Amino acid sequence: MTSGRLVRPGAGTRTGARRAGSHLRTPALFLLPAFVVIAVFFVLPAVLTVYLSLTDLSARTLTNPTFVGTANYEYILSSRWTPIVIRNTVLYVALTLAFNVLMGLGLAISMSLLPDRVGNGLRLLWLLPRITSPVIYVLIWQALLAPAPYGLVAGLLGTQRSVINAYPWPAVILANGIIGASLGMLIFTAAIRSIPRDLFHASAVDGATTWQTVRRVVLPLLRWPIMFVTAYQTLSLLASFEYILLLTNGGPGFYNTTVWSLWAYQEAFQSYVGNVEFGLGAAMAAVLVVVGIVASLVYLRVFRFDELLSRPKVEIN
Amino acid sequence: MTKPVRKMLLAVALAALVASAANAQRTVNLVGWAIGPDDPAIHRAENLEAAVERMNADLEARGADYRVAIETDFETVSWDDYRRRILLGFESGQAPDIVISSHIDIATWADAGYIAPLDQYIEQYDAFDDIADSLWSFVTYKGQVWGIPLNPEARPFYYNKKLLGELGWSDDEIAALPERILSGEFTWQDVLDVAEQAVQAGVVQEGYGYWHRPVNGPDFWHTYYAFGGRLQDPQTGQLVFTRDAALGIFTLYRDMVERGVLSRDLINMPWNDWHRAVTDGQVLFNSAGTWTWAQWAVEFGMGFDAVEETFGFALQPAAEPGGRPVTLSQPLAHMLFAGSENLDVAAELLSYVASPELDVRALESAHLPILETTRALPEFVEDEFLSQVVYMLDYTTAQPIHAGFGRYSDIFFRALSAVEAGQVSPEEGVEIVVDELRRALGDDVIIE
Repeated sequence: MTSGRLVRPGAGTRTGARRAGSHLRTPALFLLPAFVVIAVFFVLPAVLTVYLSLTDLSARTLTNPTFVGTANYEYILSSRWTPIVIRNTVLYVALTLAFNVLMGLGLAISMSLLPDRVGNGLRLLWLLPRITSPVIYVLIWQALLAPAPYGLVAGLLGTQRSVINAYPWPAVILANGIIGASLGMLIFTAAIRSIPRDLFHASAVDGATTWQTVRRVVLPLLRWPIMFVTAYQTLSLLASFEYILLLTNGGPGFYNTTVWSLWAYQEAFQSYVGNVEFGLGAAMAAVLVVVGIVASLVYLRVFRFDELLSRPKVEIN
Repeated sequence: MTKPVRKMLLAVALAALVASAANAQRTVNLVGWAIGPDDPAIHRAENLEAAVERMNADLEARGADYRVAIETDFETVSWDDYRRRILLGFESGQAPDIVISSHIDIATWADAGYIAPLDQYIEQYDAFDDIADSLWSFVTYKGQVWGIPLNPEARPFYYNKKLLGELGWSDDEIAALPERILSGEFTWQDVLDVAEQAVQAGVVQEGYGYWHRPVNGPDFWHTYYAFGGRLQDPQTGQLVFTRDAALGIFTLYRDMVERGVLSRDLINMPWNDWHRAVTDGQVLFNSAGTWTWAQWAVEFGMGFDAVEETFGFALQPAAEPGGRPVTLSQPLAHMLFAGSENLDVAAELLSYVASPELDVRALESAHLPILETTRALPEFVEDEFLSQVVYMLDYTTAQPIHAGFGRYSDIFFRALSAVEAGQVSPEEGVEIVVDELRRALGDDVIIE
């Protein structure tokens, strides 16, 4: 291991300290771009968002906002819709996440069992929605789910109603999930392919069925990819609302499918007569930043991320 | 140097001076943004270009040292997107010199200092004197004029004549409907009853008896007005919310849903699906705008003859027998960006837009002209549809010019959609609106 050798010689002496300092320069250099990117694209916007959330910035006050302290946060807390929107957000993230991960896992495993040519073709098909522009993708859903006689699904279900309005949550979760599952599918497929073949041979020699191989060999080795996909998708679902906006715009009725990020968008940017409320929207976004950070910390602990980064107990040279 | 040579040099120098003076003529570059969002309204942008040509001809005739050029942009996106784009333009100082938008945007934009008051220009150019007097109130805010009105409209109540015929109405009965609505005899309750009969008789399918617009917008306010509602206090300028009127409209829509007349899935339906069902002859009654007449003919391919054969139009009915029927107008306005370096030139250009030859193009998108002269032109008098709807302007209402009206409107629409979806009762819907209005607007709104 080279990392051990980097600090050991002369440690504790002045020369050693100097050398150790110079050795830190290289890692620091490598870390710098990531540090700059995180500072510019995460820390700075987050700080700005918190700052804006303490002002009354709106279409009227864009040039001259005033400091209003925690008024925007109090406004959110006093809203009768806050509990409903929180419930919707939890429902949306949990169900879509479950669909994404399970579907991605199912696709990756089943397609790995197929001959490569067929499996790759099917994977490509699943990637089509992801490479389609969200607006076009939703237009296709809208056409499929339109009321009879225009919509295919309404015809199949034997209903005259708009399927989006009749079943808003299944529509939202499916539209999101089908796109989301493809990410998991790719990552899990790559992970399955990196499993040494001899493990499969060994399980076959032991007489394991396909299910037993999946259960006892594949799934345990997919723990880290599953953690990554779960954590990544949670954060991305918390912040994503474009498909809900385009499909249901948070309706029908009172905030029936409005999630937190969509609510923030509506308050900040969406108004029929253009009086947008950036300060309030920023306060809502700031809440989301905090929720995202907490969720990340919880995931790191639940999946024991520190074990992934710790030195292997067995070293193979 | 001989005398003739000196003379020749002098002549050349003079010629060069004249030529350089001619070359020194500057061009004032303007930018103008317009929105349909319907295609037939493209004249809003084209009129700006035509006005530039006319103005340049006059500039040449009077020997001015500049000419005008304009770059126009015609949007067919949603109002929401359009307004956001303008707002970012205002904020970044890159807004167009001329913005065409709804007259109700004036409150927010004037308060923020984004648009310039136009009073001095209105006095300066005679062309503006020809604008119908009734239109100036739409663009006046806090005692100043902030826009030149454009393309006023009425919002009629449409009925499908063929479907009424199938329901057993005679031609005479169908032809008399606008008159019965005008006299206050045929009310919203009758709309509900007739539409229910049509559903029960199988003339239209359930939920297709009456359709309002599927998204937030001004059409709900004419019905709110019909139920006696007020939106603004003329003395204080504060917004007003009338509980009884809101309860009236919420109860009407809830009854319509429960009796199978109004589809509970109407709200949030894409506009294209809405127009497609209406133009396919599936909907008995609907509330829309005069411009939809042109939209159905042009954009949805019916042609003007078929539209005329299929649809009849009237005022929005009264709430009670003998009550006053209404409509609503939301004229657009040309507004000038306060940060423009060419305010004077842009204002002069607007005086060229206010000419009957350009104003008459409003007819192409089934909007009404703004100039008294245009309303006397044969093109307008002979336009059967528009000359027949112009009387509606005597019954018209408007939305308030108030910076808080955006939130007001969003809160009201959200409650209305919940009532239609059956999520809350009409009474609960009204109380939610009251709570939310108080929370969001405080003293800016009077609850009555």
